[in-house]
Amino acid sequence: MSGPWQRVHPASPFVHGWLAIVGLIYVYYTNTDELSWSERFEGPRLGWTAAIGSAALLVILVFYALSWYFTRYRLSETHVYVNSGMLFRSQKQARIERVQAIDIAQPLVARLLGLAELRFDVADGSDSVMRLAFLKKADAHRLRGVILDRAHAARHGSAPPAPGPQTGTADHPAPAADTGQLIVSRVPAGRLLGSLLLRIPTIVGLLFALFFAVMVLLGNAGALAGVIPALLGFGGWLYKELNNSWNFTASNTDTGLRISRGLADTRQQSIPAGRVQAVKISAPALWRPLGWYRIEVNALGLGEGAESETLVMPVGDFDSVCQVMWILLPDLGVNEQRAVLHTALSTGAHHGFTTSPASARLISPGAWRHQGYLHTDTVLITRYGWLARVASFIPHQRIQGVTWHQGPLERRRGLAGVRVHSAGGSIMGYAHQIDSRQALELFEAQTHRAAER
Amino acid sequence: MEPKDMPPTDFTAVDPAYFKVRLLTWLANTALYLIIALVPLGLALFGVQVPRWLVVLPPLLVLGTALWALALIRRRVRALGYSERAEDLVVRSGVLFRKRVVIPYGRLQYVEMSSGPLERRYGLCRLTVNTAAGAATAVIPGIPAREGQQLRERLVAAGEEKMIGL
Repeated sequence: MSGPWQRVHPASPFVHGWLAIVGLIYVYYTNTDELSWSERFEGPRLGWTAAIGSAALLVILVFYALSWYFTRYRLSETHVYVNSGMLFRSQKQARIERVQAIDIAQPLVARLLGLAELRFDVADGSDSVMRLAFLKKADAHRLRGVILDRAHAARHGSAPPAPGPQTGTADHPAPAADTGQLIVSRVPAGRLLGSLLLRIPTIVGLLFALFFAVMVLLGNAGALAGVIPALLGFGGWLYKELNNSWNFTASNTDTGLRISRGLADTRQQSIPAGRVQAVKISAPALWRPLGWYRIEVNALGLGEGAESETLVMPVGDFDSVCQVMWILLPDLGVNEQRAVLHTALSTGAHHGFTTSPASARLISPGAWRHQGYLHTDTVLITRYGWLARVASFIPHQRIQGVTWHQGPLERRRGLAGVRVHSAGGSIMGYAHQIDSRQALELFEAQTHRAAER
Repeated sequence: MEPKDMPPTDFTAVDPAYFKVRLLTWLANTALYLIIALVPLGLALFGVQVPRWLVVLPPLLVLGTALWALALIRRRVRALGYSERAEDLVVRSGVLFRKRVVIPYGRLQYVEMSSGPLERRYGLCRLTVNTAAGAATAVIPGIPAREGQQLRERLVAAGEEKMIGL
């Protein structure tokens, strides 16, 4: 069933290159700044403007048309092909059985036009992500379903499972692997805003606003100058958080976790369970009374290429934490996974957690009871933090390196710290201020485990 | 300066000549800071009205910290060392803030060899061992260039043999 060559949506070049048209208009306005409107539209000047303008537009349109004409894709039984470029031709292909995940992204302009882009995550060691842009949103979803079905079939050597066992029931005949079981349902806008309001940057921002308001009321209008950079910084942070968490849903598919989110531009992302290097569950100080948590992961090859964590759950309660963890790290190496998770997120030495000894009390009066670690056969769990609490989970096979630290205050009290590093982000395991003998044991044990596999 | 409770591991110390490199670096830094700290004194000598504490305090502070750093240089250099174990590389450093980094050979991504003008003068180099995690990076300064070259080859070979990938 080797399909024919197909073209992308004709509006695609415009979505890529709408800036060119905006730029053209901008250039026109800056060059005719001194003219009034009536002067612009009279006699020979109008003729010239129209001629030059339409010539420039024609050039752009020709380029758009050529770019559209030369961008083609084809789906065969075993491969996906994407060709593009007229002078510098690029021909990309991906073996369907190696396609791990397909993300659907919608930049702002594409979203306004109802278009979507497919990003192929292929396990062939290449750095670049294969993109197919743009298709109608429904077509993009259909194509994604077809390719993932074929990939699934190719890997398991059978026909595509009609309604897959994990992916739905008979009354839910959506493409397999496309819609999985929903585990983090859309975070309500009110809760999301509330959760952001209770974060430290918001509180600092509000305090600053209050401070400047008081200054202005006291007649010091010059203080307004300080407001602008503060607003810019805070606004940037707030927008980024909102854009990352708006309309957030996560579902369980047979390859891993699938998340979808976005305010201005929407994105869908798959996080195959095997790509997760480390998991961090954090509870900002003011969320703790509400029992809210946030989950981030270090993951590799999500097409971002950035050395930063990926948000997996913007805000959720303990039950959601358990469900997400069950997908990200199915095997914590313990029997009572839920109970151990509970201990990891609270204080106490149950289930074999080792905590800081009492000699750490003077250096960390607030946190010493909380900080501790547990190493199971598969994972190292560490927890730290005083007001805001963090629990991080790093599978032993993902450890890239281990460091051991001891400062002068710690040495006097017989304490030491061990940090465990993984790739794909800044999340680390941090056994802070533990007994120096235990720290050494942990250090040696972790290095052996890291080298084992 | 082995901590009492550390397991016996044979560390290869860095070259004693590295002490001279650190000493010269210390000298250059101290001279620079001292010149900056002596600016008020110079102004005072040229007849500018300068508060007395501004003349006296900065040079004293600079000299104090510099002497303290000088006293620590020898111990700092002695504290530096590395050990090639069966499965991993251990690098230790620090006197007041002690640190040990362990990189399993299988996680090693690339080994960088670099040397500044001072290090080159004493025939020394610096090895940086990188993994996929930015924070798990081991730096071994002050090893003789030949030894550094050999160590690098050994590390790369061990890394290829035990390669795990991600």
